[in-house]
Amino acid sequence: MRVLVDISRCQGHARCEDICPEVFATDAIEGKCVIADPQVPPGLEDKVRLAVRNCPEGALRVAGDGKGGA
Amino acid sequence: MTLQFQPPPPDHVAPERMVEFDFFHIPPGVGDPAEIWHDLVRRGVPEIFYTPRNGGHWVFLDYADIVEAYRDYSIFSTYQTPVPPIEPFPVVQPQAVDPPAHNTFRRLLAPMFTPIAVRGMTDELRRRADQLIEPLAERGHCDFIGDFAERFPTGTFLYLFGLPESRLDEFLALANTFFRSTDPAARAGNITAIYAVLDQLFRDKQANPGDDIASAIVTARNEAGEPHDWTDVLNCGFLLFVAGLDTVTNTLAYIWRYLATTPAAQQHFRDQLDDPDAFLRAIEELMRINAVSNLFRRVTHDCEFRGVQLRRNDRVVLPNTVANRDPRVFADPQTIDLDRAVNVHVTFGVGPHRCVGSHLAKREVMVALQEWLRRIPPFELDPDQPAGSVFGGSVMGFTSLRLRWDRR
Ligand code: HEM
Ligand code: SF4
Repeated sequence: MRVLVDISRCQGHARCEDICPEVFATDAIEGKCVIADPQVPPGLEDKVRLAVRNCPEGALRVAGDGKGGA
Repeated sequence: MTLQFQPPPPDHVAPERMVEFDFFHIPPGVGDPAEIWHDLVRRGVPEIFYTPRNGGHWVFLDYADIVEAYRDYSIFSTYQTPVPPIEPFPVVQPQAVDPPAHNTFRRLLAPMFTPIAVRGMTDELRRRADQLIEPLAERGHCDFIGDFAERFPTGTFLYLFGLPESRLDEFLALANTFFRSTDPAARAGNITAIYAVLDQLFRDKQANPGDDIASAIVTARNEAGEPHDWTDVLNCGFLLFVAGLDTVTNTLAYIWRYLATTPAAQQHFRDQLDDPDAFLRAIEELMRINAVSNLFRRVTHDCEFRGVQLRRNDRVVLPNTVANRDPRVFADPQTIDLDRAVNVHVTFGVGPHRCVGSHLAKREVMVALQEWLRRIPPFELDPDQPAGSVFGGSVMGFTSLRLRWDRR
């Protein structure tokens, strides 16, 4: 599973980082979401889905496993 | 002064959308000022309605419409929005500026309020909370507003702006007149006084910059490498002063009032003191249910929105407290579920003006709650609470909240 952020929608609520800091961070300049590695580590899928659902801007989405290049 | 932004008589408003509603007026006997808003929903008034009170303005009640108004600045501007209209109103930076110009001061402030930056403030916030709470523990009672909820965010402002503790009472007095006075002369003099204090402060910081937010604002350069306009600097300082005081004070007041009347919730937090994830989740729910701000927008041009005719310069009021209990978005919205898993509340707004101080505000609440619960045993409302200590408006809240507990 992969997780992607639409940075033009992200407004830096950092709800994603609060819920799953293993995957999401917030940059120190604009205060927006940073995903160091879009490939979600095994075992964190549920937490990432929860983060996606808690983004008040709808800026996050999950994609397939990315092998097709998504 | 011409009242250029005074809304026209509402002949474009369909009669079925007219509702008499004064959001500054809290009827006697109402203990929670947000109830006047929830009462509208219970009465089933149209989800987009117009009230002739306070200069005339629209109210949106649907979560989706409120979110759309926050995001679509091509229709809903933050420039010259006060309700009732006051003109000219300071163009506070960056809140009263629409994108893309908004970005200049937004980008200047953003790095100083990121989660990383705010984590770095935690120890100092904790020290300050502790200093206020410690002497209260012995007393067994307090007026939570005057003894803590006003002093804590005002002290935080002094800390952020690199000002000495000794100026707390001066800033408390300025803030109190700003937020609570209804005397026009006192209010006008007060704004002049706040600007004079900020002017001096920024001059001092310009001469002697320190490691604080005021210095960062005054020494920042625009894209051309020039200092920012002095008026913008002052207006940004002014916004930081007013945006983080009354909001935090009344959020704290709402939360402590809830905890004082809900022993199980107090216990929930006492049990989670050492579990930051659970603590944060529960705070997010307290933020949802205790949304103190009602935001204003001004319509930029005649247009139709969701089939409703809006006219240029119409004002719109967006009650976050209503959005946050929309059953189309929140499961069981009236229930306070401290473990709520999905919680897309709009207490800090959404879109380009999303509260830049939200991480700081949540950190203030978290630190205050942790330190309070560590030092104060189970507490309850004091029965001698004065009646009528509530107010409405753009920020809703309490002028007094008496609490008591068993002395150690
Ligand atoms: C619980 C406390 C707080 C609440 C409920 C709150 C709420 C809000 C809301 C709803 C907005 C959006 C305004 C709009 O869309 O027109 C906002 C903006 C803002 N807030 Fe807060 N706020 C709080 C605390 C703070 C603190 C502590 C600070 C800073 C010290 C702060 C600074 C700001 C600033 C600078 C903006 C304007 C951002 C922009 O226009 O880009 N707020 N706040
Ligand atoms: S929750 Fe959404 S808006 Fe907030 S930082 Fe994460 S992606 Fe951005």
